Amino acid sequence: MSQTASAPAPQPAPSAQPAVPATAQPSHRAGVAPAASPFSENVPRLLNRLQAVAVTTCVVFGILAAVIQVLSWQAAGRAADNTEQVVRVQQIQSLLLRADAVATSSYLSDGLEPAAARAEYDAAIDDTLRLITDAADAQPADRAVLADLNAAVSAYTTTVSQARDYNRQQLPIGIAYLNNAGTSLRAEALPIVTALVDTNSERAEDEMHGQHPFWLLGIGVLALLTLFWVNSQVARRFRRRLNVGVVTAEVIIAVLTLVAVGHAVLKNNDDDATRDGAYRTAIDEASARTAANNAKAFESLGLVNRGSGSTVWEPQFQKQSEIVVDKASADTAALWSDYLDLHAQLRDKDDQGLWDAAVADATATGDGTVTAALDAVDASASAVVDESGDEASDGFREGGAISVALAIITLLGGLIAAGAATRGIDQRRKEYS
Amino acid sequence: MTHPTTFLVSPAPLRRRTPRGSRGRRLAVAAAAIVLLAGCGGYDDTTVPEAQPASPAPAAPNTLEPCDNDGTEVRSYEPDADETDNDEVVAIRERGKLVAGVAADTLLLGARNQAENQIQGFDIDMVYAIADAIFPEEGREALDARNRVDLKVITAAQRIPLLQDGTIDIVARNMTVNCSRWQQIAFSEIYYNAGQKVLVGVDSGISTIADLAGKRICAPAGTTSIENIQVLAPEAIPVTSTDNSACMVLFQNGDADGVSTDDTVLAGLAAQDPYATVLKTDFLTKEPYGIGVNQDNVGLVQLINRVLEDMRRDGRWKASYDRWLEPELQVEGKQPPPRYGR
Repeated sequence: MSQTASAPAPQPAPSAQPAVPATAQPSHRAGVAPAASPFSENVPRLLNRLQAVAVTTCVVFGILAAVIQVLSWQAAGRAADNTEQVVRVQQIQSLLLRADAVATSSYLSDGLEPAAARAEYDAAIDDTLRLITDAADAQPADRAVLADLNAAVSAYTTTVSQARDYNRQQLPIGIAYLNNAGTSLRAEALPIVTALVDTNSERAEDEMHGQHPFWLLGIGVLALLTLFWVNSQVARRFRRRLNVGVVTAEVIIAVLTLVAVGHAVLKNNDDDATRDGAYRTAIDEASARTAANNAKAFESLGLVNRGSGSTVWEPQFQKQSEIVVDKASADTAALWSDYLDLHAQLRDKDDQGLWDAAVADATATGDGTVTAALDAVDASASAVVDESGDEASDGFREGGAISVALAIITLLGGLIAAGAATRGIDQRRKEYS
Repeated sequence: MTHPTTFLVSPAPLRRRTPRGSRGRRLAVAAAAIVLLAGCGGYDDTTVPEAQPASPAPAAPNTLEPCDNDGTEVRSYEPDADETDNDEVVAIRERGKLVAGVAADTLLLGARNQAENQIQGFDIDMVYAIADAIFPEEGREALDARNRVDLKVITAAQRIPLLQDGTIDIVARNMTVNCSRWQQIAFSEIYYNAGQKVLVGVDSGISTIADLAGKRICAPAGTTSIENIQVLAPEAIPVTSTDNSACMVLFQNGDADGVSTDDTVLAGLAAQDPYATVLKTDFLTKEPYGIGVNQDNVGLVQLINRVLEDMRRDGRWKASYDRWLEPELQVEGKQPPPRYGR
């Protein structure tokens, strides 16, 4: 600052006489007397300061707006990742209960477990274990509980194997093992999966609110006000209302602000629509699929634990059925209604003492059977979950390239605005010289 | 991110810009750090909430009169000459079938034989003996062929309510006779004197109740079995589970050293595990079994008591005991003597 403070000010052009009031800011440098009048103001130093303010404003705007846009883009990506994790752990949940539904139904076959059922059980468990590994890779914060889940699934499958072995030897203690397997699945494994679903849902929904149009608007308005102030300060001293460079910078920042805010608002609206649409559908349908298989397991346990079907297991079946009815899509709900009709017939037979007939219904395969009806429900729900889950994660990721491009444009725009402001004030400096 | 800094200082002389340039770089570095940190997406580790223990269901109000099991509880109704033609028996005969509440998961007493697709056991033999007296058709095959017996598998908790509402005619499901139950239903004479014993591992080194000190003994939660063990073997470590079979699972998985409940139930559990045996001790408690009947069906009770005496005379009771229980209990079966006086 020394050269502007100590050098004598050149005589300004009459047309460019500063219009600074008598209270214009005094110099704070030691040994420099405060300006007593507009003519004593150190205009070059003032121009330097105004230039610095304008440039800093433009650059800071560019950086902050770009950072906000990058953060928003990353949040959208994380929302998509978390959505995929939610779908993944819900699939684990559905597969575990699918496996349990198959295991409990197969138990009714007097130890001669149908090969197809055994293959389906094994496939469900294999898929579960693969998904646990995938989930651990996808989200490090879930790894510890996924390791616990892995152990719980292992304990479950071991107990099912013991039940199967005893059943094959036609020993009723196998029923206790089967009950034990179901209890451990629901008491140990499912709470972990539920915690994973809840936590990742919370993460996904938090990230869905990653767009910040008001921040962008605030930064833009603040930058514009600052540039307006710079322009007015220059104008007061040079009797020209507009400084082309500063005004250019204002226009650039205004346009960038409008575009960035507009994009953020649109993306926000899109995210809200995705959250309330595909995302919610995927979550609800997965819950319905889980509940349907859970209900089927209770139906089978009601026959395995002969005599307690209507009193102990049917109330649990009905609770799960209510979840299916509440959460399932229209197509899946219609298929569930078909299943419920067959279930009612099955229960009716068991309640009338026709246990053998009820078991025959529960274990029959082919069109029009309980098994086929549940398979249809499961397939329908699975398809909806896959489709909606993909749609949701794609929806959250959508516009990512635009966000990044906008962030770069905003940053460059801020720098260009800074250059324009610099040139504008340089012009005044030349005029002053 | 260095370009903005350079641009920032370019309009001014270099010497003056150095400090601002330094600040600019710091700003740029800070911005880059924010972006990088945000990109990490680090979350707190997922945790599983502690499971809240389920609050026990409120117990049903006890409307029974307090009573003492002073020995009179084992007394039943003495048969008379025409019990096969009394009203209750005729009603069953006209209906065409006897409806019996039984267990299907208690091996040796009442369990489904998967190979034969039949519920079989000591209790089931009692049912068919009674049915054979109502429908004299000579044996189970003939009775089943005419669908004369409806074995309704019920839980322990359903025994009394289903008798009271008439859903079932009799209960043959290891049901202990006591004075409280006499206030709700009627019983036949005692057809088996069961009692609490302990099942342990074959080579566990446990042969007496005193040996249970420091051992984990399982019994269903909320039953008197676990309380009895705590009284008779106070140094044993009580372990509870949902039912006897679940206790056996704990035993087989090494989570319990023994199981304690009625000897008949233990015999069924031991029959499924060659490495388990029932201790040959005195009964820890007495559990006299009777056939449960609706309180109003005294005529049916009299018929059942007649059948039980017939079984004593013709050896059917002994044959049934020897087939189902003796191999595991390894104690000679003695049918309890009849006690009448109601």
